[in-house]
Amino acid sequence: MMCYVFLVSQYGGAPGGPAFPGQTQDPLYGYFAAVAGQDGQIDADELQRCLTQSGIAGGYKPFNLETCRLMVSMLDRDMSGTMGFNEFKELWAVLNGWRQHFTSFDSDRSGTVDPQELQKALTTMGFRLSPQAVNSIAKRYSTNGKITFDDYIACCVKLRALTDSFRRRDTAQQGVVNFPYDDFIQCVMSV
Amino acid sequence: MFDRENKAGVNFTEFTGVWKYITDWQNVFRTYDRDNSGMIDKNELKQALSGFGYRLSDQFHDILIRKFDRQGRGQIAFDDFIQGCIVLQRLTDIFRRYDTDQDGWIQVSYEQYLSMVFSIV
Repeated sequence: MMCYVFLVSQYGGAPGGPAFPGQTQDPLYGYFAAVAGQDGQIDADELQRCLTQSGIAGGYKPFNLETCRLMVSMLDRDMSGTMGFNEFKELWAVLNGWRQHFTSFDSDRSGTVDPQELQKALTTMGFRLSPQAVNSIAKRYSTNGKITFDDYIACCVKLRALTDSFRRRDTAQQGVVNFPYDDFIQCVMSV
Repeated sequence: MFDRENKAGVNFTEFTGVWKYITDWQNVFRTYDRDNSGMIDKNELKQALSGFGYRLSDQFHDILIRKFDRQGRGQIAFDDFIQGCIVLQRLTDIFRRYDTDQDGWIQVSYEQYLSMVFSIV
C-alpha cells in the first residue's frame, strides 16, 4: 500500500572507520557515524540531531523530536529503543520518498502543505480516506492551518501503523474490526 | 482538554483548572511512588492504574512503560506519567462511548477507528 521511493543521493565521503567492508562506499554512513556512539546505534535524540543536520526537513527548526521517537519505534525490531545503520538506511529511503512526495504537493514552495494538499498526498500514497477523516487528521497536525514536513511524517507513520494494525485484525477483509478493550488500547499505545 | 472555547489556548480561569489538575496528579504520583525515587516503576504503575480502577493485562503495562519511558530506565518520570494516564483515560472514554452494550467489545470501521485514535495520540 505504501510505495517507498528509493532515492540515492550523493552526500560526499564518509568520515571515520567503517564497521564492515563496503560501508565506506555508502555516503549515508557519514551522517550516521557523526551521531552514533561506539555502539553503532542511535536513539531518538541522536536521530533528531542527524536529521536536523541533513536538512531533509528543508527548514531551520530542529526536526520534530516526537516524530523521531515514532520513526525509531517504527523500525525498532529488537525493541531496543535505538536503530542501527541498516535500519537507518531503510528509514532514509522512506524519508526521501516522503520528501519527494511532500514537495510535489507543496505547490507554493512554502515548506508546508494545507489540508487539501494533504488529502491529495495521502490519496496518492494509497490511503482511502474521506474528506472529513483527512480534515480531522489535518487539524491534529497543523500549525496555523499548515502542516510542516516533520509533522507530515508523524501523520504518515501513525496512519501506516494504525492501518496495518487494523488490517491485521480485519481477517475477513470487510473493513470492520471487533476490538476487545485491552487489544484496542494496546494497539493504539504501541503506535 | 481545558480549552473550553476551542481557541487552542487557555485563559487564566482555564489555567487554574490545569494547575489544579496537575497538583491532583502530583498527589497521586506521590502516593504510588512508594520508594520516593521520583520515578514510577512497573510495579508502582500497576498499582496506580489498578487503584484508578483499570483492569489491564501485564503486557499492557510493558507497552505503556516502553512508550512513556523517555529516559530509557524502565521507569516513568512524573510528567510522562501524567501524559500516559491522560492518554489511557481518553482512549478508555472513547472506547466506552462506542461500546454501547458495555460488553467490553466494539465494532468499528477503518475510518471510525482512525477518527477515534487521531484525536488522542
